[in-house]
Amino acid sequence: MDERLAKIYFGILGAVTLAFGIADLLVTVGGGSLSMGILEIPGDAFRGGWGGFIVLSAGLFYLSGIKDITKIHQFSKVVMGSILVWIVAGFDIFAMITESIPGEETWFNTLEGFLGTYAPPYAPAVLLLPFSLVVVYYIYTGRE
Amino acid sequence: MKLGVDERWDLIEKISKKTMTFGRYKHTLKDAIGELTVKPLTGIPIAIAVLYAFWSFFGSFAGFFTDGFFVKLFDEHWLPWLQEVFPGAGGWLYYVLVGDPLADNCFEAFGVLTSGIFVAIGVVLPAIIAFYLMLTLFEDSGYLPRLAVLIDTVLHKIGLHGYAIVPTILSLGCNVPAVTASRILETRKQRFIMMTLLAIFIPCGAQLGIMQEVIPDTVGLVFLYLIIGYFIFGFVLNKIIPGRSPEILIDVPPYQMPMARNVGRKLWMRTSGFFKVAVPFVLLGCVIVNVLYLAGFIEWLGNALAPVFVGWFGVPKETAGPLIAAFLRKDLAIAQLSAIEMTKYQMVSAVVLVSIYFPCVATFMMMLREGLKELIGSIAVLVVVVTLYGGLLHLIWILLGVA
Repeated sequence: MDERLAKIYFGILGAVTLAFGIADLLVTVGGGSLSMGILEIPGDAFRGGWGGFIVLSAGLFYLSGIKDITKIHQFSKVVMGSILVWIVAGFDIFAMITESIPGEETWFNTLEGFLGTYAPPYAPAVLLLPFSLVVVYYIYTGRE
Repeated sequence: MKLGVDERWDLIEKISKKTMTFGRYKHTLKDAIGELTVKPLTGIPIAIAVLYAFWSFFGSFAGFFTDGFFVKLFDEHWLPWLQEVFPGAGGWLYYVLVGDPLADNCFEAFGVLTSGIFVAIGVVLPAIIAFYLMLTLFEDSGYLPRLAVLIDTVLHKIGLHGYAIVPTILSLGCNVPAVTASRILETRKQRFIMMTLLAIFIPCGAQLGIMQEVIPDTVGLVFLYLIIGYFIFGFVLNKIIPGRSPEILIDVPPYQMPMARNVGRKLWMRTSGFFKVAVPFVLLGCVIVNVLYLAGFIEWLGNALAPVFVGWFGVPKETAGPLIAAFLRKDLAIAQLSAIEMTKYQMVSAVVLVSIYFPCVATFMMMLREGLKELIGSIAVLVVVVTLYGGLLHLIWILLGVA
């Protein structure tokens, strides 16, 4: 594992994740939702509040794990940060899938309606998902 | 052939040399992650994330089947068809089996063949499958014992220990096996506290499914209120009930990937077991409540208890009907509440009342099997809790100016 690169990468990812978590919580406390380009911060207590707290925790896991990242106990915190992002993003995507299949009036959705469910904007955890997957590479290189 | 002591030890040494390897144990990533899940500072955010996953899956999965397909099937096809072909509209048999002839959805019809089947198949089945699937995954992956370790200190404050999380989580599926599972607790005091708290404060999966359907915006609030009650009354019971609350030693297994075959078997066993208990009571509940309505008993009871319902709990007197149904099935009672006209806050109060009021008859029978003395004690606690906690919620609404 290239320690310096891993530290920089997960340090930046941790800071961004933490910022997204704080933004989630602030928007929820503010009582609205925020949409900017491909980013949408949900304002409901479940996804914004509860989910926001988990994203914030993921950011803290990343940041606390980057010191001595090659040590297994420290690296496990980084892995846990990614797992938390996968939980929030995974269930956001699962919710999209379950919403996209049934139609409003008909049994099944139209093709446009189906595809439209997956169009942006996305919640912060979904945007963080591809970046968090880098940890899988480090898990495998670490094993070797 | 009989071996002497020395010969036996020699044999053990030979076997161990052939079967065991000795060396320094190297910590793996799985071990390190396992440690993170039991330390409070890191374990609590992880537990919160796990519960988020649980609830998120529950909502999406149950919503997909119930709102996506079953509501359409029952409201647009099954109900109109039954209303059209069933003879004797307005008669007592029609009222019991099909329900209100003017109803346009299965929640409000309240017949055995309409609401009864819709609640059992359309709402409860997806919710129960979602719940037991997640529970099985937690069990088989090795997370549940870690959660028991994590929550041990908190549960000691209410006279229980970490393993009490098992009946508590089981109870979120169905209170009946959860009452049996409370036997894993060592002392009578612990078992009494556990059974009482389960019967009063933990809504079953069927009830959760209906709550998600009837009050989707406030289900979190209701749940929070119940969890707070679980700890407050647990704390009080721990102080007033004599007896011991011993420590536990838990063997925490390593994390592992759940096996699809085992998950499938457990899911089938639990879901089918639940339905054998639940469905007859749902259907019977519809019959009894409809007969009581037709006989004018519910109206009489509502009028008689109106000062308590309206004055103390702040809910409409019509809530008497669902409270009778709640003794048979709480999910059915909440479905029935949805047909009564009331404000959002009254609805929250009514749902809380149905939840903390008498346990359903199946749970009642299980508690009786655990001991008559315990059952009477639990009911005494229940009467106090319903009066105090139900009234407290009304007081909160008055102070917030929304009652």
